[in-house]
Amino acid sequence: MSKMRGAAAIVGIGQTPYYKRGTSPEPELKLAIRAITQAADDAGIDVRDIDGFVSYASERSDPAKLMPALGTRECSFASLVWFHGGGLPATLNIASQAIMTGQADIVAVYRSMAEGSNQRLRVIVAQDDTSSQYLVNGLDSPAQILALRAQRLMEYHGVPQSALYATVRASYYHASNNPNAYGRTVTMNDEVYEHARMISEPYRLFDCSRENDAAACILVVSAERAKDLKQKPAYILSAPMGTMEGGGALEENWRPYYATAGQTELAERLWRESGYGPKDVDVAQIYMNMNSMGIGAMVDHGFFAMEEAGAFCTFENLTAPSGKLPINTSGGDLGEGFIHGMGLIPEAVRQIRGASTNQVPGAKLSLVTGGPGDLMSSTALLGAAETL
Amino acid sequence: MAYSFEQHKISGAIGADDQFWRALEDGTFQLSRCSSCRNWTWPAHFRCGKCGSWEFEWVTLEPKGNVFTYTRSRYAFDRVLERKDDVPYVTIVAEIPEAGNVRVMGVMKGDEAGLKIGARVKGSIEPPSPKTKNYPSIRWELDL
Ligand SMILES: [Zn+2]
Repeated sequence: MSKMRGAAAIVGIGQTPYYKRGTSPEPELKLAIRAITQAADDAGIDVRDIDGFVSYASERSDPAKLMPALGTRECSFASLVWFHGGGLPATLNIASQAIMTGQADIVAVYRSMAEGSNQRLRVIVAQDDTSSQYLVNGLDSPAQILALRAQRLMEYHGVPQSALYATVRASYYHASNNPNAYGRTVTMNDEVYEHARMISEPYRLFDCSRENDAAACILVVSAERAKDLKQKPAYILSAPMGTMEGGGALEENWRPYYATAGQTELAERLWRESGYGPKDVDVAQIYMNMNSMGIGAMVDHGFFAMEEAGAFCTFENLTAPSGKLPINTSGGDLGEGFIHGMGLIPEAVRQIRGASTNQVPGAKLSLVTGGPGDLMSSTALLGAAETL
Repeated sequence: MAYSFEQHKISGAIGADDQFWRALEDGTFQLSRCSSCRNWTWPAHFRCGKCGSWEFEWVTLEPKGNVFTYTRSRYAFDRVLERKDDVPYVTIVAEIPEAGNVRVMGVMKGDEAGLKIGARVKGSIEPPSPKTKNYPSIRWELDL
């Protein structure tokens, strides 16, 4: 168990609506301000008292731009986690450390994206971050690059298409119950799934997330302060980040892992630091920019072995309220909307509060995994007070 | 004479593989190996993480390998629109047994029947063209 275990808690959540990419009526900085002020209201905290700001990847709504509009009295800590969606749960690690070491009292963890105002996909992720070895060979998008890994997962390791479909069906089923989900009206059944166009084989359209314009924020404070606030705290039990030798910027040369998420050692640390194991988890928000990578994340976390993926990944097992491991209960990256995974943390918190639209009754341990197969990744376990 | 790829440089990678492209543009397939511990270093880098050496040799190899994985792109993606008329096209990640099974990407050429993980492939080198962003390239073809 680590010193970080239960030292800080999430006490506020804020989310703007999800808009179709490029159609947000407001620029992303304004979306960020909306999400942060909402999170403060939710927590019963004066937004001016937020003194720490943490985000990840190519976030552009930096604290310097936010402060004047939030009325920030003092920013005493600001940080960005390296890389892409892999950094998502690691933001909780950074926020916890800042609080534990007295660098900040109230940390906003947030992500804002509006394609019109920042062109993340085309410019930032793309041009600065894709090597010539990919572009020369017709590979541009994460969908194509992760398709290479999915092909290996399915053809070589034998994970069936039905496992991918189950994650899609579960996500859209959950989205249909969530009035805030962008994909809530999408009809999903065998026929729709199978007849959807291929994007990059083996990925069909619905295996891929669609990027949205939106912003989301959660507020982190010390466990002590959390007790006196409005909401039931979601304690941060562990949030390890990193990658092992054989991972990193290796242009499809990852070994020994390739087809999963590169989160095996992260998950081992997560269980060690939290004192819990995969069997204890009540509900999981699994990052699925592409769904096979999320299946890899579940393998890495020990929920099932590669050869069990077909038997484990069924609609019944993956759905709330009574599945073996309900995943992506807001609809997740596939069904709720995708802003680099940031919708996953608020939903993990709602499960602990008992406030999800697809609530797992009595959920106490709530997992959030980061961008699978990212150059570096992270994962986090949240718990109710009883789990401390 | 200046190399085509140098005039159309794509940034964003480690950036130690200039010799790979230079060799391809000269018509040979070369990969990088540590001069000291002889560990194949791919993608190429500036220092050998195994032994600490800063010296690498570029070894000319016969482009032969096995399919490690592949994808068939069925959509014209934004930054590779030069290939829109080729959609669908297959990109292969090939393992090179003679170079410690490091993996090298290339667009598939020829008949796709028999394409599967583990299939043998042989490479051929193509000169720079707009489709390859004015870089030279290696194409993988089934070697059944
Ligand atoms: Zn060496």
